Amino acid sequence: MMDERIPAIEVRSLRKRFRLQNAAIGSLKTALLWWKRRSVKEFEALKSISFDAYQGECVAVVGRNGAGKSTLLGLLAKVYKPTEGSFRVRGRLAPLLELGAGFHPDLTGIENIYFNAVVLGLTRKQVRERIQEIIAFSELGDAIHSPVRTYSSGMTARLGFAIAVHVDADVLLVDEVLSVGDFDFEQKCLRRVSDFRAAGGCILLVSHHLDTVRQFADRCLWLKAGEIVAEGTPSEILPQYLASS
Amino acid sequence: MLAEAKELWRFRELLVSMVERELKIRYKNSLLGFLWSFIIPLVTTAVLTFVFGNFGSIGVESFSAYILAAYLPYLFFQQSVLDSAQSILMQLPLVKKIYFPRELLPLASIIANFIHLLSGFAVFFAYLLFIWIQHRGASPFQPTTWMLVPLLMMTVMLSTGLGLLVSALNTFYEDVKYLTGVVMYLLFFLSPITYLSEMVAYSRVNQDHGGWIFKLYHLNPVAALATGYRQYLLAPPTVTIDGVKHSSVPIDPLYLVWTAFVSIAMLLIGYSVFNRLKWKFVERP
Repeated sequence: MMDERIPAIEVRSLRKRFRLQNAAIGSLKTALLWWKRRSVKEFEALKSISFDAYQGECVAVVGRNGAGKSTLLGLLAKVYKPTEGSFRVRGRLAPLLELGAGFHPDLTGIENIYFNAVVLGLTRKQVRERIQEIIAFSELGDAIHSPVRTYSSGMTARLGFAIAVHVDADVLLVDEVLSVGDFDFEQKCLRRVSDFRAAGGCILLVSHHLDTVRQFADRCLWLKAGEIVAEGTPSEILPQYLASS
Repeated sequence: MLAEAKELWRFRELLVSMVERELKIRYKNSLLGFLWSFIIPLVTTAVLTFVFGNFGSIGVESFSAYILAAYLPYLFFQQSVLDSAQSILMQLPLVKKIYFPRELLPLASIIANFIHLLSGFAVFFAYLLFIWIQHRGASPFQPTTWMLVPLLMMTVMLSTGLGLLVSALNTFYEDVKYLTGVVMYLLFFLSPITYLSEMVAYSRVNQDHGGWIFKLYHLNPVAALATGYRQYLLAPPTVTIDGVKHSSVPIDPLYLVWTAFVSIAMLLIGYSVFNRLKWKFVERP
């Protein structure tokens, strides 16, 4: 089958091995007692996986805890260095930051928008230009001037989402959260996500919420112990996945 | 290392944002906000003037200026190294989520502290001006005041090198933070910050050993810098020890050459250790 679509993410035999130390790191004592440190175990979180995700597509990665989903997102976000293999991302990639990662509780919504949008790759000038748009999208109103520690989890998620969809990313990495806030906001998110995809954006979604997966994903990758065991539409994969657990 | 420098330049916008954030967070829940960075040196000056003017007089006029000249850069050194030590661990959730050059975190702490140092020096020169107007004493600016620039450069390089080293190591071994705290504390007493290096020079132990103690003492870059700041920013003091007046004892500029060498070496060592470890931060169990 010839594929005319342009891949936004190309992953080729990507492998990630972690070193697990029984005694763990944590204090100088463990470093000094080197003769006791024989129990270095290796753990392969991803075993040579390959796949493509195309522009305009939403690919969901499903799998149990420890299947390597987060490791995959971490590798694509360049947080980890691959042990072997390679990947290519066309354009800019932005992870959806959740509470605790990018937000500082003592800073106001606006201050957090500035910081997060710059972390995600905008210049400060670009943030200034679209700050009103981001605030309007988040529907936080006057709360945008209050410290984020006073926000409910829904408000924080809305803020995170508003930032992520305004940074002109070409690839969005989404860990769990996609449906945030009330019905109206969710509808707006859905519209925004479909606009994003219509414009050629690609979403890689990791979720345990199979409803979310059904709603958003065109394609599913089923990860099991670091390997892709099946790939297909959600309606093909999800029943198998559910049956296996 | 050139590739890393390029990468840093590419992320300069983020560095600026991190510094802004650092400055905002520090005084976020305080009424006076950024004013604190002026209040602290001002109050320090006032207290020092009172204490040393009345209790520990060694016959040096405006002794508090001599203290401040060494204390401000020391405070920067200490605070930026200790802040750096924490910087990676505090931001670990973000570090685990998205890529950016990891050195931005300690660098942002150091730059934020440097801004405080500069405001401290603004207070310092204002104070010198005030003394000059009041007493018509020594001019607030010496012919050697320009030496402030190389001195600051050395201080920044030394702090950055140590900050990078400590931040990388502390991510794996949290003992490093405590160890650093102890070393900082000892360096404070082992360097001429609350006293003058002349007191070392005229001490019995130094005189008995043919001046060797004074020389060894200034091999410590922090001590050499503290003496350096005083020597180039202020008029040479006359000290009275045991009722005898002594003239000031400047250090050979060679000690500052040595300090520059140590600072550059520290920067290179710190940065290369950091670069070797930075990919492992996230894999820390």
